[in-house]
Amino acid sequence: MRTYELVIVADPRLSDEEMVAMTEDYKRMITAGGAEIVREENWGRRKLAYPIQKLNEAKYALLFVKTGDKNPLPEVEHRLRQNDKVLRYLTVRTDLEKIPPTPVEPAVPGAAAAAPMTEER
Amino acid sequence: MRPRAPERPKKKVFFRRRKVCKFCVDKVDYVDYKDTKLLQGFILERAKILPRRISGTCARHQRMVQQAIKRARHLALIPFTSD
Repeated sequence: MRTYELVIVADPRLSDEEMVAMTEDYKRMITAGGAEIVREENWGRRKLAYPIQKLNEAKYALLFVKTGDKNPLPEVEHRLRQNDKVLRYLTVRTDLEKIPPTPVEPAVPGAAAAAPMTEER
Repeated sequence: MRPRAPERPKKKVFFRRRKVCKFCVDKVDYVDYKDTKLLQGFILERAKILPRRISGTCARHQRMVQQAIKRARHLALIPFTSD
């Protein structure tokens, strides 16, 4: 019984729906693997501190996963690595109690949801 | 009468304010990598990690800060370097 945080940094060219669909997929995988999603956050589109694959922005999603007897995360990580829409991911073991609800709701710069950003540079 | 030896510069007495670890003051037991606002304060302009001797952070909390910064860098929340 452990809690993990899973951050997914995804290609900003995914539409919001695609992004949701993708995270849903991973969530299903996690729940099917005997773990439970305790909390999730969608940070939306954020500016990257440095370009990744020539992209300057990315969409972030955060899941808090509580594992039961089985831990589906290795399998999920394996899939994340194969998904080229996922630029980065990070799984970290955490104590849910230690984490304040939403430390910093990261500001989504200018380009909110609508305008489909063309990739720059 | 011997000429007086050149005056040696007096040992400078300067008071360095004792730095206290701000995390200890706040009783922090976890530094979150998502807290970019906080972490920004621990990187220099070249985006290097602020050394303990400057920030005064204690060893334990410096380790947490370090870990958090590295995680945040991986996720491109904060830079590795400023070009």
